[in-house]
Amino acid sequence: MRSRKTWFAAAACGFAVCATAAAAAAQVSRTSGGTLTVGGVIALTGSSDFEGQNQVGGLYPALYAINKAGGVNGDHIVFKGVDTRGDPADALPAVQQMLATTSGLVAVAGPDTSSAPTIVPVLNSAKIPMMAVAGESVYDRNTAPYFWRLFPPDAANGTAMVLWAKKKGYTKIAAVFGTDSGSQGDKPGVIASAKALHLNIVSNVDLTPSQPTYLSSVRKVIASHPQAIMTESDATTAGTFFGELKQLGGLVPIIGTEATFTSPWLTAVKGALGADFLKDYTGLITAPSKVTPAVKTYQHSVTAVKSKEPSPWQSYLSNPFSITYYDGMIAVALAMVATHSNKPTVFNAAIPSVTNPGKGKKVVYTFAQGKAALLAGKKIEYVGATGLIDFDKWHNSFGNQEAVMSTSSLKPIAKGVVTAKQIEAVPVKGA
Amino acid sequence: MTAWSYYIATLTVYFGVNVLSALSLNLQFGFAGVVNFGYILFQAVGAYIAAVVVLGPSSAFQQYVFGARLPFGVALLLATLAGAVLSLLIGLFSLRNIRRDYQAAILLIISLMATQVVQGYVPLFNGSNGVTGVPRPLSSVPLSLQGYQWAYAGWVLLVAALAYALVTWLSRSPWGRALRALRDQEDAAAAIGLNVTALRLQVFVIGGALAGLSGGLLVEYIGAWSPDAWGYAETFVIFTALFVGGIGNYRGAVLGVLLVPIIFLELPRFLPQVGYPGLMDSMEWIAIGAIWMLCLYIRPQGIVPERRNRAARTAAADARPARESVEVA
Amino acid sequence: MGSTLVSAIGFGVVLASIIAIAAMGFTIQFGLTNVLNLSFGAVMTVAAFAAYLANRHGVGGWSGLGVGGAAGAALTLALGRGVFRPYARRGAHLFEMMMVTLGLSLIVNYAIQALSHNNIYQFVVLPSTPLHLGSILITHTQLIIVFIAIGVLIALISLLQLTKVGKALRAMAADPDLARACGIRTGRIVVLTWLLSGFLCGLAGVVYIINAQSVGYTTGQLFLPLVVAAAILGGAGSPLGAVAASLMMGIVTEIVAAFGSEAYSTVAGFGILVVVLLSRPGAVRGGETGHTQLTL
Repeated sequence: MRSRKTWFAAAACGFAVCATAAAAAAQVSRTSGGTLTVGGVIALTGSSDFEGQNQVGGLYPALYAINKAGGVNGDHIVFKGVDTRGDPADALPAVQQMLATTSGLVAVAGPDTSSAPTIVPVLNSAKIPMMAVAGESVYDRNTAPYFWRLFPPDAANGTAMVLWAKKKGYTKIAAVFGTDSGSQGDKPGVIASAKALHLNIVSNVDLTPSQPTYLSSVRKVIASHPQAIMTESDATTAGTFFGELKQLGGLVPIIGTEATFTSPWLTAVKGALGADFLKDYTGLITAPSKVTPAVKTYQHSVTAVKSKEPSPWQSYLSNPFSITYYDGMIAVALAMVATHSNKPTVFNAAIPSVTNPGKGKKVVYTFAQGKAALLAGKKIEYVGATGLIDFDKWHNSFGNQEAVMSTSSLKPIAKGVVTAKQIEAVPVKGA
Repeated sequence: MTAWSYYIATLTVYFGVNVLSALSLNLQFGFAGVVNFGYILFQAVGAYIAAVVVLGPSSAFQQYVFGARLPFGVALLLATLAGAVLSLLIGLFSLRNIRRDYQAAILLIISLMATQVVQGYVPLFNGSNGVTGVPRPLSSVPLSLQGYQWAYAGWVLLVAALAYALVTWLSRSPWGRALRALRDQEDAAAAIGLNVTALRLQVFVIGGALAGLSGGLLVEYIGAWSPDAWGYAETFVIFTALFVGGIGNYRGAVLGVLLVPIIFLELPRFLPQVGYPGLMDSMEWIAIGAIWMLCLYIRPQGIVPERRNRAARTAAADARPARESVEVA
Repeated sequence: MGSTLVSAIGFGVVLASIIAIAAMGFTIQFGLTNVLNLSFGAVMTVAAFAAYLANRHGVGGWSGLGVGGAAGAALTLALGRGVFRPYARRGAHLFEMMMVTLGLSLIVNYAIQALSHNNIYQFVVLPSTPLHLGSILITHTQLIIVFIAIGVLIALISLLQLTKVGKALRAMAADPDLARACGIRTGRIVVLTWLLSGFLCGLAGVVYIINAQSVGYTTGQLFLPLVVAAAILGGAGSPLGAVAASLMMGIVTEIVAAFGSEAYSTVAGFGILVVVLLSRPGAVRGGETGHTQLTL
């Protein structure tokens, strides 16, 4: 026993030495070659790992575009994943380790909804700008200066879905949501908005993920005779549920949250519904479907880094989350160029100045254009692949949402716009 | 250096919490022979209770039961109590004299069921989203952020040290001797009048109380708690720590906690990213499984102290005085 | 109310068929070897992926069942001889073996996760139309699955009751020492057990994803407790018992889903497992005799 304990103690010391050495090596790299880092504080594994895939799907193209145009102030930017595993207990040491060991950390993509309440204060006091994807409504009135949010709060997406349903004349809705955290985060907004706009929720079903069948829930939904189904769940669950719904003859139009317009969900449901999918599914997303110069550059960048993208890379061409991350990264990089500084304390406050509309500003659609204009002394307004970016005084910028149907290659087809004003006008309680 | 300081402070807090977990499991497993594969559930209930009694009333933002605004000390006591009460309830029906692999499976399944219930019934603890915004204890004390974190780490270490003293004292007490008799020679123990079921239940409940306490300490530090933080596999990490450090051995438990959850699981963060993001995490779990199986291979019959001691006893039956125990913790 | 009940029973039969195939495999294995093999679910997932990959390379539709079965058989045999037997030889008893299977399931599940890059993949065998049987509404695919389960049951019972090999299996399950003494080639019988139970395990995995229409590393994670419950409730080593128990589990699960909430149906199933484990005879902690011996 004693010799085994000694061996283990020695091993422990060995580990500690290695850890310190690795950390020291990470520190040393600061001086060697002008590399800056953007940290991805997101769930890379666990039940929310699709969030991590959405994020890298948009950040790799952004970093490609930035580095290809010469980087910022002579430095290149690289991505470093910091896995929150979707829960705050794992997120905290991960983020603190990142802060301790990452030299040249200029920004963070994230944090995600589940870890935001714990992580936002940590990053804010460390003075690292964050392009947050936290969906809680409490951030609608954010006061942390380093917090920036280009994603609409979860509740806004729900309101947009309900407004769209009303436009289409549906009054009887079935709510079908998974019990996973992402879907449950979006559900209250849908329910509350439906109440506010006097739509009738005829059945309300929660699906436990990864069950072999959902026949009983399918039957409940069919028995309530809805005119449309509002839904979000993980892809596997959606495939099984809607497949069984169709096979039992109960398929009605489906209105999905923004999270449904991502490759895994679309692929699963398309496989389950076949041709009906193209006819019956509508998603509410934030990115515009029409192709602007910004969108073209984005898609070109995705193609350029396709070997690094999670598979299948094509799905990120029109993934609204990835596109938003892309715009956020470009905006941060442009702020760095505008202030000639890589120090977050210097460039953080300048982020709105390169995106918000204003007099005398030159509109640019790509990082390269923006960089060139800034170096020529102009003021710029970056209009991104998600459209206009206009940060309000609480560092939120979310614009219109759009109802889109899907092509068989999972590209969006625009069907109508729901404006931010319309969303804000709905008197939603709570959520 | 400051950034390092935050990180190490957090690891210290986690170390202390994991030591409490390891002591709890060691008590239940090494002494009472109960394989609590549902351990993480007891930590979770402590965390949830500590959180909801501090958060104030339930709101539209997050729903939960028992909203109140009690001081953090009371919250910790309630967390400990919650762990004890839940262990009592579960122990009453699951601590029968059944084959050990069934018992382990039962406790594992119970923790799975609890996850399903919490996720499915949102008004209980806000479902999959969990509870957030738990205020830090004594945040009005004028300490810098860094100072506060280290003070909290010190507090957790103090609690862990007290727990360590408690379990070692219990092990050396007459009660502890009764436990070892129960573990080593159950039929004989029953024959001389020891209430086997009651003893096992007592150990289970004390372990559960420690677990609840660990959950309360954890949630007051992190400020949030959700089902993803208490997946059933977390229990296996602590068990791996016990295997590595040595079952039935409290010093070994502490060493195991240092080696496995703290050093081994944090180390991959320092490595350069290999493959797609998230690959390292899968590899970590594969490594945990491999360590687990390696420890089982090296000492397959040594995992259960009962069997080892019975063999030792029969071999040394005459050589030792009857009261001395082979395994001194 | 009545039609909800009848339709829940119908759904329950479908779910039961999926559980039953896996439970029959598990019970054969458990009945003979006495190992509480918690890596059974991971093997199901591997077999499901094998069928998916075969599907991608042109081996279509229902022949995926054969591919999955073969994969399950091969993997189970490899694990049985390469992992479980060495541990048993080193002195592992019932409990340690279960822990070995747990560690193994961690390794296999996360290896699948790593290899599949956390993605899920489509697996559609045949688009199906609804079938009305009174107030029961199921699909053609599901009906076929029910028939597959019945077929497996008949084949298994015939094997066990009518063939020499089957008799040997039953003898070994009842009393391995006596069987050995009677000249039964126990080593061969164990190999056959691995192959047979592994084939059924793989088959179950493929049936599962045919119904779920997709495969990923999380496939079947919550399914294993239902399978184990059915196997143990039905009596270790009894295919008929496994089927009866699966029917009960499936119907109870669907009734809870229909009248309560889908989210709690798994809780009901797990609860049944807990009750079963607590109350089955042969569950008493005892010495190293008969039922509590590992046969590997």
